[in-house]
Amino acid sequence: MGTGRVVGAFTASHSPGITGWPERAEPGRRRRVEAAYAEARDRIAALEPDAIVAVSVEHFTNFHLGNLPAFAIATGESYLGPVTAEMASFVNVPQHQYPGDAALGRHLYRFALESSFDPSLVEGGLDFDENFCVPFKHLDPESSIPLVPVIVNGVNPPWPTPRRCYDFGAMIRAAVEAQSEAERVVVVGTGGLSHWVGLPQAGQINEQFDRDFIARFESGDPDRLTAYTGDQIEEAGNGAHEIRTWIVAAGAAGTAFDVLAYEPVPEWITGTAVAAARM
Amino acid sequence: MYSLHKLLWEIRRDQALRDRYLADPDAVLDEYGVTGELRGAMRSFDFKTLYERGVNPYLIYFCAIQLEVPRAEYYARIRGEEV
Repeated sequence: MGTGRVVGAFTASHSPGITGWPERAEPGRRRRVEAAYAEARDRIAALEPDAIVAVSVEHFTNFHLGNLPAFAIATGESYLGPVTAEMASFVNVPQHQYPGDAALGRHLYRFALESSFDPSLVEGGLDFDENFCVPFKHLDPESSIPLVPVIVNGVNPPWPTPRRCYDFGAMIRAAVEAQSEAERVVVVGTGGLSHWVGLPQAGQINEQFDRDFIARFESGDPDRLTAYTGDQIEEAGNGAHEIRTWIVAAGAAGTAFDVLAYEPVPEWITGTAVAAARM
Repeated sequence: MYSLHKLLWEIRRDQALRDRYLADPDAVLDEYGVTGELRGAMRSFDFKTLYERGVNPYLIYFCAIQLEVPRAEYYARIRGEEV
């Protein structure tokens, strides 16, 4: 046992519209979502984290169907995001380097293997897309907190099961507690909720699915949170598979979350939410 | 399937390949070994058929944007509407 602790956990959507075209959303919805991001940002700053384990999917920016990890852990010193000038313009985030906590990344990777998980190792070259660039524009605008990116496949079936995601999150917590270099660690999961990408339903939102997911997320009951089949998640869109990142964060927190905002925002094609662990 | 997935991914990453595809799609489809129904659907931007045959919609969508298919046209095509 080391002295490292998970001192906070947060989850948030990462739709490009949140930063790319916020003004197109209905003003009240935009205001409530941005207030929730600001609340999460203030809470993260108050926690004074040494590092953030940042969990998301990646949208074929680095990986492809010649090599698609179910889970990957990155151990880089820094990460470029957004990946191209075009994407930087699209999501309205200046292209820059995000700092990495390489030592914590290496520790997490080794700890995962020793805990019978088999993630891919990404020692470098992992570029960010909206997965991290959009939420971190709000959550750490100066990109001052070193990151350990963890990628979960949420973009191509078959996907890791929700139970496996929860257990992966619990492993992250155990890994943090087994080291002492990064004493105060925050976990952030990004993605979801309901949305469709590249499909005829794009722009629809499955509010019923989203509200049910939020109820489970706020219950803190891992059995309820992980009782999804892939097909049940698919009912909320191919983008809804990103809720696995929230489930990883829940496993890392080991507690219930409070949803700070939920707004169905068709202009951002996403059921948009921000949440914080009750810890 | 993989040959088409590879092509879709690489068109997004490689401007020169994108330009070559726009100039001469058959040459590129030959090069990647894309044949049969998937080739015909890709050749005619029949995104609905590509999706129904199991091609990943993220890759279809990103590639279409790269090939300068307007978003409205993309969604009409994925719905199978005449454009």
